[in-house]
Amino acid sequence: MSAVRVSGVWKKFRRGERQDSLRDLVPALIARGFGRRAPEGLAKQEFWALRDLSFELQPGEALGIIGPNGAGKSTLLKLLTKILRPNRGEISLQGRLGALIEVSAGFHPDLTGRENVYLQGAIMGMARAEIKTKFDAIVDFAGVEEFIDTPVKRYSSGMNARLGFAIAAHLDPDVLLIDEVLSVGDVGFQEKCVTRMRELIARGTPLIFVSHNLTAVVDLCTRAILIDHGVVQYDGMPADAVVAFRQSRRSESAVTAAPDSPIRITDVTLRRGDGEPSPLFQTGGPMTIRVGYKAQRPIDGAAIAIDVHSADGVYCTGINTRMDRCTLGTLSGEGAVELAIPRLALLPGCYTISAGILDPAGLRPLDLHARAYPFSVASDRRDFGFVYLEHNWRHDGSQQTTARRRVRATAGAIQEELG
Amino acid sequence: MTIFAELLSEQWAYRELLVRMTARDLLLRYKQTVMGFGWAIFMPLVNTAIFSVIFTRVATIDVGTAYPVYAFCGLVAWNFFASALRFSVTSLTSNPSLVTKVYFPREIFPFSAVLVSVVDLAVALGVLAVVMAYYGVLAPHASLLLLPAVVTVLIVFTSAAALFLSMANLFYRDVKYLFEIVIAVWMFATSVVYPIGRVGGRLGALLALNPLTHIVDAFRDVLIAGQAPAPAFWVTAAASIVLLGAAWAAFHRAEFTFAENL
Repeated sequence: MSAVRVSGVWKKFRRGERQDSLRDLVPALIARGFGRRAPEGLAKQEFWALRDLSFELQPGEALGIIGPNGAGKSTLLKLLTKILRPNRGEISLQGRLGALIEVSAGFHPDLTGRENVYLQGAIMGMARAEIKTKFDAIVDFAGVEEFIDTPVKRYSSGMNARLGFAIAAHLDPDVLLIDEVLSVGDVGFQEKCVTRMRELIARGTPLIFVSHNLTAVVDLCTRAILIDHGVVQYDGMPADAVVAFRQSRRSESAVTAAPDSPIRITDVTLRRGDGEPSPLFQTGGPMTIRVGYKAQRPIDGAAIAIDVHSADGVYCTGINTRMDRCTLGTLSGEGAVELAIPRLALLPGCYTISAGILDPAGLRPLDLHARAYPFSVASDRRDFGFVYLEHNWRHDGSQQTTARRRVRATAGAIQEELG
Repeated sequence: MTIFAELLSEQWAYRELLVRMTARDLLLRYKQTVMGFGWAIFMPLVNTAIFSVIFTRVATIDVGTAYPVYAFCGLVAWNFFASALRFSVTSLTSNPSLVTKVYFPREIFPFSAVLVSVVDLAVALGVLAVVMAYYGVLAPHASLLLLPAVVTVLIVFTSAAALFLSMANLFYRDVKYLFEIVIAVWMFATSVVYPIGRVGGRLGALLALNPLTHIVDAFRDVLIAGQAPAPAFWVTAAASIVLLGAAWAAFHRAEFTFAENL
């Protein structure tokens, strides 16, 4: 039996302000009485936020939901949490839903942390006895022991969010719903959250994770759906969903060239080791970037530049032919320049490539496709950060010199150990 | 009928939250106040003093008992009704983050507003006993056994109005202004500080339809006069139950649109 079933869900909203004073009621009632408005259709100023959305979630699955702003993700969340009700279609959910959304919505500023834990716990559907037994764990998780009897209006926003998250994290839900938790608190707390999420996933708690953090989706989820314009555009492996998302964004990213530019980038293709064009690469695997160009007239001394940014905008690396002292000679007519990367030193995540042709003086780009080419990196490695450093560990042994034990392990061996 | 079974079972499932929300509202209402629960009886006491001057010194009327007892009893019941509704009207609109972000049965908001006032009512009834003892009219009538029934009917009627008003104010913010006017007029259309039967004529016949009059009179019947409430009270009781059912069903139908309209 599915833990969550969303079948054929439609939801519409109204644009603009609705009338909310009695003065507007009478005309509205008259309009409703006389106007033959089909309840199933769209009236003026209405639009569909979700159109015939369906998916199922099986126990043990961690489902990522991604999509651009305004795609309908928040609407879907509100439907799942029963705050909104669909116009058509059905949503069924087995057991208690734990939503890590608005985790401190029930907090009242004048109540103390302790009072708010009980209040928020009750709002989330916990019984008093249950909160009582988990109280210490919650306070400990949030790290607010000293301030638990202080009104939350004196809390920092971080403490507020941490306390809220701690309550939700101890709910032991049958289905867990998460929206951008990774924006809560400092790095240490975020790690705690991710650990807690992994614990729940490992226990088989089905999970729905809505996020703009594509890296986290690839990292945590077993499946992902891409929603755009209220419709499921893709349903499958997280890395593939992210690629589909990136590709749908591509047309909107900046492609800039001076109108009189003598040379243009015609296409950029990313290829794997087998030569197949692909948006998905392996950490430590080969990658080839091919930049095609078309020149109006022969150009001497131009340079090709490639930049890599992470999905959240961090500039990872920038390389160009000039700094590498690679002279391309004269670029004329149509041609292509290839950049071969034998071992891609990027950790799993989502990245974009920018390609540009620099003028001989190196001052301005003759053509630039900024962050136009997305790709994802997958791996079974779980290092932190962006960069994969090739490395070896060595242990030079303890004081007993007689039998100097040497522990040498390559990163691969450790990998095997950890499984 | 299935809808009511569903409503009641959901309310039961969330009973702890209802208690918590009521506790929250009580705590908040009297936090940082010096008088605390004193405020629950302050207003009826002041009104009793004012109307006692008017109706025992200026325009003397016979109410069949000591006037301050008559007025305070009426004001205690009325004050419950008026203050419960005053808090209910804005109970949904003053909690926008909860209404738009978290799901639980929305009835909890108006119901907890009513429950907070029930606590005030209990305090006020205790003070009423003191006032009655002072005027020597405190007696252990058998009719006191009917007090829980009278209080229940008052709560049921108030809850019905609370559901309706909180919902109406969410859609049309005029309601809270309109409410203040209606409640001011309504008090003098009810036998709170004088017997409404004295109005007479066609206006009197019209005023006899006011359900609150029958409930307030029933309070005096069981507490002071020591007699069972009039038949009109039992009609009001039945009507209140029907009204609560209707208001609750309407509220439930509309509650899924609250988040969109707040």
